Amino acid sequence: MQRGDSLNSPFVPFSPNPSIQQGTPTSTPPLKHTLSSSTSSNLRYSSSRKSIYDRHLNRSQRSELSKASFAFLFGEMVQYAQKRVNGIADLEKKLNLHGYSIGQRLLELLLWREGRSAKRETRILGILQFITTTVYRSIFNKPADGLEKSRDNEDEYMLIDNDPMVNSYISVPKEMSQLNCAAFVAGIIEAVLDGCLFPGRVTAHSVPTEQLPAKTVFLIKFDESVIERESVLG
Amino acid sequence: MSFYFAIVGTKDNPIYEAEFGTSKQGGDGVARFREEQRSMNQFIVHSSLDIVEEVQWATPTMYMKCVDKFNNLQVSCFLTAGNIKFLLLHDQKADDAIRQFFTDVYDLYTKTLMNPFYEVDMRITSGVFDGKVKQAAKKYL
Amino acid sequence: MVILSLLILNKAGGLIFQRDFNEGLKKLSSNDYLVLAGTFHGVHAITSRISPVRNSGGGLEVLESDRFRMQCFQTLTGTKFLIFAEPNQPNIDVVVKRVYELYADYVMKNPFYQIEMPIRCEAFERNLVAYIKPK
Repeated sequence: MQRGDSLNSPFVPFSPNPSIQQGTPTSTPPLKHTLSSSTSSNLRYSSSRKSIYDRHLNRSQRSELSKASFAFLFGEMVQYAQKRVNGIADLEKKLNLHGYSIGQRLLELLLWREGRSAKRETRILGILQFITTTVYRSIFNKPADGLEKSRDNEDEYMLIDNDPMVNSYISVPKEMSQLNCAAFVAGIIEAVLDGCLFPGRVTAHSVPTEQLPAKTVFLIKFDESVIERESVLG
Repeated sequence: MSFYFAIVGTKDNPIYEAEFGTSKQGGDGVARFREEQRSMNQFIVHSSLDIVEEVQWATPTMYMKCVDKFNNLQVSCFLTAGNIKFLLLHDQKADDAIRQFFTDVYDLYTKTLMNPFYEVDMRITSGVFDGKVKQAAKKYL
Repeated sequence: MVILSLLILNKAGGLIFQRDFNEGLKKLSSNDYLVLAGTFHGVHAITSRISPVRNSGGGLEVLESDRFRMQCFQTLTGTKFLIFAEPNQPNIDVVVKRVYELYADYVMKNPFYQIEMPIRCEAFERNLVAYIKPK
């Protein structure tokens, strides 16, 4: 069934009229089906006919990654972002975006792994505890070092990490001293919050102390709707 | 006994939909809705989204049994961590079977999400996904 | 463990890092250090050609006098680490390996460091000082 260039977008809206939109997606030809020749269609499926649906989600749960590999990859990510932006705020936003897509996937994966006893979080404190323990432990193998509520503002919370792993090998030059590459982790946290319907902004700030020169505080600022809902729920 | 299944995204946009009939007790797995009933299915399921949004703050569980009734049809809902709603329209009660079906589809959805080229709220057009959902339906419903 | 100073040279023989760890040393001007580095690079290249030991691969490794001992470690990529220490200091190899490890960690993994440029990484210097002069 030809539908011209609406086939190219995965965001085509469904239509209730069966003559325009026939039922299930299998009757919709795969994207680029009519445009590609038969040779390139071989590339869509692996020769062993295995797809991502055959892999078990717990397969990589116990596996570890070398810190050096991650450090090199993260360094390249920072350099890649740096070439495409002008300004520190933009760079932090780009890193935040990278972390965001990771956080969306991590949220679903972690809750799936909890199994039947999985509970969705509906309260602010609940979701923050979830991030401090479960999310942090699954990425960094240790819970975050502290969670505080701001005394001045109702909608601000602070998550403290004494030594963010992503920053361990990075020395920010003096002219960019406001940059904190933990904006990447802030993106992960923001995505987890957004997914659970607690929209807000998460930013990373470095607060070096004598004993902990790499201490970072993630400032979590929730939207007003979240605070209203929280007070309604009692 | 026929079922209409839909996955709705965070912006209330449909991501996937399918129809099946029961495979138990001699059913052949093909949905038997009356013609005029079929076009109403989508409306019924999407209108229950309002109720889902109210109920979701009252309970921390992911599987919410029957959230809405319309004539003789019931809508059951499963809400994922990322606020994606799996909605099933059915005419008879079958809580446990439906819960197992939802768990299977949740597994499939999470795997779809692991694809770096798949973003949240995108349509699911994979034939493999479709096949596996129908397989799960045959197994449990 | 008394290390007097450390120099790091890049592939082309340019000086990219220099640090003294002992206050009693005579201070040279920065230009002098550059000249020293360049000279050493040339000497190292020459000695690697005229080495009497066949297939030794490298050039000058140790230079000893009655006041100091200098050890040179050349990496596979051509970067040279020069360690100046007291004459009777044992285990300089261990020190050199550790300094190389610190370099690989805090300089190479730093996205803000341009390869072959002078090293201005605060984390590298901090860890180096902590290792060589633990107080």
